[in-house]
This record gives sequence, C-alpha cells and structure tokens, in this order.
Amino acid sequence: MEFHIDRAKVLPKANVWEFLEGLKRRFKLIAPVKEGEKCSFKEISDVTTVELSYTRTVLPPKKYLLPYRRERFSYNPETMEFKTFNSIQEQVIFGVHSCDLHGISILDSIYLKENPDPRYLEVRKKTILIGVSCYPDEYCFCLSTGTAFPDGANWDLFLTDIGADYFVSIGSPKGDEIVLTLKNLFREIEKEDLELYKRSTRKKKEAFNRRELPDLERISQLIELEYDSPVWEEEAKKCLGCGTCTNVCPTCFCYTSVDIPDLEGKEVKRVEFVTSCQYPYYSLVAGGHYFKPTRTSRFRHRYYHKFVGYPYQIEKLGCVGCGRCSSECPAEISIVRTIKKLRGTDEKELREAVK
Amino acid sequence: MKKSLEKLLNKPLPADPFLPQKVVITDVEELAPEHKKFTFSFLEPSSCERWNHIPGQFVMLTVPKAGEIPISICSSPTRKGVIELTVRKVGRKTEVLHSLGPGSVVALRGPYGNGFPVGIMENHNVLIIAGGLGIAPLRSLIWYILDRRHLFKEVYLLYGTRNYSSVLYKDELSRLKERKDIKCLYILDRLETPEDEEWSQGREGLITDLIPEVSLEPKETYVAVCGPPIAYKFIGKELLKNGYPESQIFVSLERKMECGIGKCGHCQIGYKFACVDGPVFPLWDTKNLPEMI
Repeated sequence: MEFHIDRAKVLPKANVWEFLEGLKRRFKLIAPVKEGEKCSFKEISDVTTVELSYTRTVLPPKKYLLPYRRERFSYNPETMEFKTFNSIQEQVIFGVHSCDLHGISILDSIYLKENPDPRYLEVRKKTILIGVSCYPDEYCFCLSTGTAFPDGANWDLFLTDIGADYFVSIGSPKGDEIVLTLKNLFREIEKEDLELYKRSTRKKKEAFNRRELPDLERISQLIELEYDSPVWEEEAKKCLGCGTCTNVCPTCFCYTSVDIPDLEGKEVKRVEFVTSCQYPYYSLVAGGHYFKPTRTSRFRHRYYHKFVGYPYQIEKLGCVGCGRCSSECPAEISIVRTIKKLRGTDEKELREAVK
Repeated sequence: MKKSLEKLLNKPLPADPFLPQKVVITDVEELAPEHKKFTFSFLEPSSCERWNHIPGQFVMLTVPKAGEIPISICSSPTRKGVIELTVRKVGRKTEVLHSLGPGSVVALRGPYGNGFPVGIMENHNVLIIAGGLGIAPLRSLIWYILDRRHLFKEVYLLYGTRNYSSVLYKDELSRLKERKDIKCLYILDRLETPEDEEWSQGREGLITDLIPEVSLEPKETYVAVCGPPIAYKFIGKELLKNGYPESQIFVSLERKMECGIGKCGHCQIGYKFACVDGPVFPLWDTKNLPEMI
C-alpha cells in the first residue's frame, strides 16, 4: 500500500460518465454491466450501462487477456508454413476490483517470467487497467489472502469511492497520460479527501465478518500435512466435477490445444481452449492411464495447486479471495469451509459435534 | 513486486516459443508391432547446427492436421545432424504419424525438460533400467555415455519387456551385449518361443529381478530409470533395498502435456511441472510430490 499524494487526483462522481466517454473515444472499453441478477465484463457501447458498484462478476476480467477460446496460429499441412494472427487492439478494462488486479499479477508472473508468451505480453502491453474499490459480501475473503487492496503492482488507475467523489490513484505513466488528457474532469486533492480515503480503507476492513474468514497462516504446510485427510473425500462427494470453480477463477490458466483443419484440409488452426483440472481427461495420457483417476484426487489437486503449487512456482498464493468458486459452485462447496474443515475449525461441524 | 512486474511488461516481444520448426522425415524403421522409429532432419542447415539436447529431454512434435504430442528424443546429442523419435501407435495423433513415410514434412519445437543430470553422473558408475518403451529416452543416454565412455566408470543396462517381438532396437541391443564396456542384462515377462529363450538367455520375470544381480557399489552409482507408470514403485523399492541412495536414482516420468513450457498446466506433479522441472526427477522427490509414482 503505497500512494503518493502527487500521484493522485479526485474525480467527482458527476464526471464519471464523461470520463468513461473519454476512454471509449480512444480505446475499446470493457467494463462490468448488469445482466439479470449478476454482472459481467462486456465491451461497452453505452457508458450509462456501466455498473459502478457491483460485488463480483461471474467471470473475471482474465477473459480479455486470455480468451477462453483463442487461436495460436494456423498452418498449411502440406508445406508446414506457419501464420500467426495479429489483431490485438488497445483496450481499457474499467472497474476491476483489487482481487482481480492481484489475479492479473499472478497471470503476469505465470505467463511472463519464464518462457514468456509473446501473445500474452502483447495483449498485456495493450491493456489499460482501471480499478474500482469495493465492499465484501459473505463470499469474499480477500482480507485473508492479502489482496483486499491494490498493491500498486500492475494497474494504471485506481478509483476509491470516498462518498461524493472518487479518489483516483495513478499507478503508471499510461494512467497519468489518461488523466492529463481528461484533466478538466479531475480536481486536485484536498486534505479532507485524504481523510475520506483513509476512512474508506478502514471501512472496507471493518466490513468483513472476521469470524467467517479462513486462517491462511502457513496454508501450504496445512495442505501438505492434511494430504490424506478424509475431508477431501467428504467434500469431493458433493462435487459434480463440472469445472465451474476453475472456469470462474481469476488465476486458473490451464488450457488444452486442438488442431482444427478446415473442410478442404488446406489450413489447420491451432486453437487453445480453457480446460479444467476437474475433468478426468485432464491427466489422461496415451494408452489410457489417468494420473488423477478419482474425483477426490482432482478435487484436492485444485487446492494443492492454489496453496502449494503457486507459492513454489511464483512465490504467491494462487488464491485472491474473490469468492467466485464458492459463490458459483452448483454444489455449494465453499473453499473457505474446506480450509476450515482441514484445520478442524469449522464452526458448523464443531457445533454438531457438541450436540 | 511492482518493479519486477514493470520489468516484465516493458520487455520487448520475445521470439514465439510456440512456433515449431519444419523438419522432414528422412527414415522410418519398424522396430516392433505398433512401434516405429522416425528420423528427422531440419530443412534449414542452420537450425540443424544449432540443435543440441541432453539425454532425457523431449520435443513437441506437430503431426499435420492431428495436433501436437510430447515425444522423448531417443537419439544421442553426440551424434549430430538428426533427431530420432520412437513412437508407439497408441492414439489418434500417433496413428496419423505412423501413416507418414520418408519425405513427409512435419514440425517440432524443443528440446524441453531438464534431461538426465549427465554432468554429475560423470566419474561414477551408471545403472540404466528400462522397461518396455522406456528404453527410448534411455537409448539417448546409453549412446551419450558410450560415445564419451572415458568419463564414466562401470555401466550397466537392464532391459525388460514383454516378449522378443516387442523388443525395441533389436540389432543395437544385441551388439551392445557383445561390448566389454557395458554390461547388459535382458529379461522377458514370459518365454514362449525359442527366440524369447535366446534373447533373454532363459530369463523370465520382471525387471526388478535383475537389480540384485548388478555388482556395483551403490553409493558410487547413479541410476536412470524409465518404464511404464506402474513399474516405478517396484523398481524404486528394489533399488532402495539394494542400497542405492534415493538422491542418486533418477526417474523419467510421463505426463499429459500441451505446451512443454509450463503454461498449459496438464503435467503438474504435486507443485512441479513435469515439462520444465522434469521430466527427470530424483526418487527423493516422491516424498515431496504426492502422486509422483
């Protein structure tokens, strides 16, 4: 948490629509809109549809960085000449919450640290991230994962709601440039704004029901020590194996790739699809051997990867506490509850045991 | 944190690691039913010169119209100019590959993975244990060692497979038996024909039966193992029983892979990726990585 006063401005709420119009004039604008009960990130044609105070979208904004179906390249199967696609447009993703910004940092680490993926890097270079502050609901546990506030890592602007205005933190030269071109809409920070900003941070922390939050202290060790715990099977019994949890996760990155020839067989496209470790074929090798043969082993794998795998690979937890896997699970499996059960601190269970 | 991410985003676009290079099939040899050895060479001489690999590494091979498959390299880096891959016809993509003959153009990228730690194996005994198709990546190691024989102490090869007709590299392995600088012990699951008898000199059983017959000082020996998934547990147990240190036993593992460079996630073993952290792991890792073998 590091903000410099000289790197922040105030955007009166009355100017937000004009600000969004200004963005839309220059870039492809992506922002959350309401669809029925829920919200989702969409390309915006009418800025008044943008939802400014939502809780969570069903899918994280990663779909605009790593589309769920994406073409890697095409080739001619006779000559084996390869052709890559170039159609990446500059885009602004507006209204990203802190947890999702952290999710994008994690994807950045995975895709750019070792063997950098040039397509991801290009998309990332052409993406401007504008965050918006939020308040938790019963599924959020970003306070436990340390992702409740943006850490200044990879966003361009961050808007914190301070009542009548937004406190706008500027995180990058690109963000600064956007503020400069629309400078009529902003005003300078006053002492009161800073107080309000600090208060809003406090208010968010207080909005969490602390008793419901999971204890993530030494979580890697817990998962490793409880590898053979009966909890995995108990929870996996409820699991439908549908893969919703991984599809809605802001940090899941696994994909499968398929070569699809056209009808004449003159051109073959290599298409990558988002896949899920919850599907049996995820670990199937030629000859019919499944390395993760049971639902329990696949169920446990997701936790193992998030809390042991990511820390080993990128030195960060693979979970940002957004609560999507719990809120969207059709079997109502909760990641928080599984962790509590593993720790032996699940209140519901304790209450039943006392009865 | 901020600094390191800024650095990542400010980098220039790298060369595309997903783009394979064109290669042509120059030779196809039928080794056993359903098993063929393909020889590839690059269309561009410069790529050919640049190619270098470590025994135990693999490539991602694009089979036209069918897709990409990870295949371990069975040729030795000491013999430059060609890449050899031994492929069992086992699924849709390998079936298409098996239908291709010399002159066909395909594409590959790599080499990927860590390979066997040949550097630290130097000045030690080497015990090579191959089960079935597991001989393929180990063939690379065998020729690497034999071509630089003076760097290694005693070398043993144990090879077990189903029957004589499923023996791979028959001529090569027979000739190895004649050599004085490598001791070869072969075994078959079941002896049914006179050829079976002749090949294994009457030995019938599992590869683990051969391990007590190896007369090497275990502490001075590095072990390289590759076989079907089911075999590792038994081979590992037998090796430990015979005193080989678990940090000196290296197993090459198979997993599903879609990218080869740590992006697709399929090959995870515990917290590691088989493609970048493996596919060769010390047996010691079985304690760290659940479900490894």
